[in-house]
Amino acid sequence: MTSARLGHANLGLGVGLRTAHFPYILDHHPPVDWFEIISENFIDSQGRPRWVLDQVAERWPVVMHGVSLSIGSSDPLNFDYLARLKRLADAVGPRWISDHLCWTGVLGTNTHDLLPVPLNEDTLAHVVARVRAVQNFLERPLVLENPSSYVTFASSTISEWEFLSRMADEADCGLLLDVNNVYVSSVNHDFDPWEYVENLPHRRIVQCHLAGHTDCGTHLIDTHDRQVIDPVWHLYRRAHELTGGVSTLLEWDAEIPPFPVVHAEVLKARQYINVAHQGESPARLGGGPAIEHEAAAPVRSTIKARQGRDFAVPHPLHLIEAEVQ
Amino acid sequence: MSHAISPDGAARELQRIQRWMQAVIAHPDGIAAGVESDEARREIDIALERIDEVVSPSRNLPSEERLAIYGRAYYSRLLECLRSVYPIVAQTVGEEAFDALAFGYLRDYPSRSYTLDHLGASFAQFLDETRPDRDATGAPKETWPDFLIDLARLEWAIGEVFDGPGIEGRPPLAAEDLLAIGPQRWPEARLVPAPCLRLLRFGFPVNDHFTELRRETGLREEPGQERSDEPPLPDPAATYLALTRRDFVVRRHALNEAQFELLHAIMADETVGQAITHAAEAVPDLESLAADLRSWFHEWATAGFFSGILHGTK
Repeated sequence: MTSARLGHANLGLGVGLRTAHFPYILDHHPPVDWFEIISENFIDSQGRPRWVLDQVAERWPVVMHGVSLSIGSSDPLNFDYLARLKRLADAVGPRWISDHLCWTGVLGTNTHDLLPVPLNEDTLAHVVARVRAVQNFLERPLVLENPSSYVTFASSTISEWEFLSRMADEADCGLLLDVNNVYVSSVNHDFDPWEYVENLPHRRIVQCHLAGHTDCGTHLIDTHDRQVIDPVWHLYRRAHELTGGVSTLLEWDAEIPPFPVVHAEVLKARQYINVAHQGESPARLGGGPAIEHEAAAPVRSTIKARQGRDFAVPHPLHLIEAEVQ
Repeated sequence: MSHAISPDGAARELQRIQRWMQAVIAHPDGIAAGVESDEARREIDIALERIDEVVSPSRNLPSEERLAIYGRAYYSRLLECLRSVYPIVAQTVGEEAFDALAFGYLRDYPSRSYTLDHLGASFAQFLDETRPDRDATGAPKETWPDFLIDLARLEWAIGEVFDGPGIEGRPPLAAEDLLAIGPQRWPEARLVPAPCLRLLRFGFPVNDHFTELRRETGLREEPGQERSDEPPLPDPAATYLALTRRDFVVRRHALNEAQFELLHAIMADETVGQAITHAAEAVPDLESLAADLRSWFHEWATAGFFSGILHGTK
């Protein structure tokens, strides 16, 4: 039987390491449980970013989270990239390495977006074979995240949760459950986020992500630029119950507030975790609205529609700006 | 053994959809034009009215608008990235003109790297290739494109030095060690440049312009400060600059021509004696050069330009 979390520890409540917080983190050593890095921000760095990462890795558990693996692409795997990823992992010692179930480009191009794959048997076979190849190369299990998405394909024949479940079992990899992404995609694609979370193979879930998103009225965009909304917290509470507790991380990638604000946001998880442990009904908790189980309530009443934010840029945008005197 | 899983029958359909979708969402004229493009039609020959056969609509959005989310995100994300790599170019030409340049650049030079750090690598080259002022023979007629190209070269070099190799944690060659070398050993010595040392030669005073615009930006960020006029396009002038990095911050050091020639020769692994000979060609007054050398080397060593010294023949 698969070990819970694939045998990985529950690291607690962590925060994504972002450049804006470098000085605060090094000066104050905040009591955050762990950090997740965007691997590509450090993969070639020989300057301050890498130096900061080394300081952080000495003091906190670190996880490497990538955005360029492109495991679902029909292009060949990029083994130059994988070699660099492995070299960084050898130096930093992350608890695990994760990326997304997506493709980022074809014909050698990188769109720097996390594009969805058609969810069918052919794609599943393709992805499973590539996950195995990557795991062989990295000599460790890969952990893959469900992305937020904005289109689905006519050639899809299976649900995303079923695709992820079968992929994880057949390739023997881990899952990173981004609860906000489940919610965003459920609104965009008219499916029930609760059914999704209930049906994943929970012992393969190594980590959860939380983030804020932008409501564009007709759809949601995964902008990582604000607080987590209540319905996402409710889904998270259920995920916590089902998994027995996994490492949880908050991503905040735009309009980034001071570190204590970001840290306080992830610490809100405590109220959901602690209550979940007491076995109370999630619907009674958190002061939020009654949980919506119907598929795809189009726009949750807890969010004000932000018309005119149609140009919101989805995660990921990752670039470290140079410092010059 | 090959790890590269080439498309078999099963993956060919995936390849077709992905190549089609990329052609559609990255098309500079939008989704409808993308669907009609040769690149897209080569993969899936389908009209816009029928794209539901590839991409499903949602309850709230038709397929075209769903694809448009990715199309807008593609350009927004990468334009934002280029603005942050070339902030002074953007400030110099204005937001609208910069976005037009960057948009054209992304069309001609889409990212082919796993990292956004490489996205702007060919921007100066693109500015040169697309300069609008060439006459019938291809010769440029205006100077302002050269100014922008120089500015782009400066900003790209700053980014490279910032995240490239440096000497933090390793003591550079101290000024005292350098000046303690006996006069008889000095001409044959070779100085090892710090790995973060970069020399740049420009046709315009772009370093001064960089400083001026950063000062302007700083003033504007203070409350109550009115926006002043942007500095005018400077006149052409040969200028020289050394970039290096100390404590992980990029440092700019303006050079004169003799200093540039001297450092350039040192970086080309010539001896100090040979390098001084090159520098001498750039100055009319050899006596003043001799007087200056000591203070130059002292200043450069203090700034961490050199990581070591080698004696003897190669």
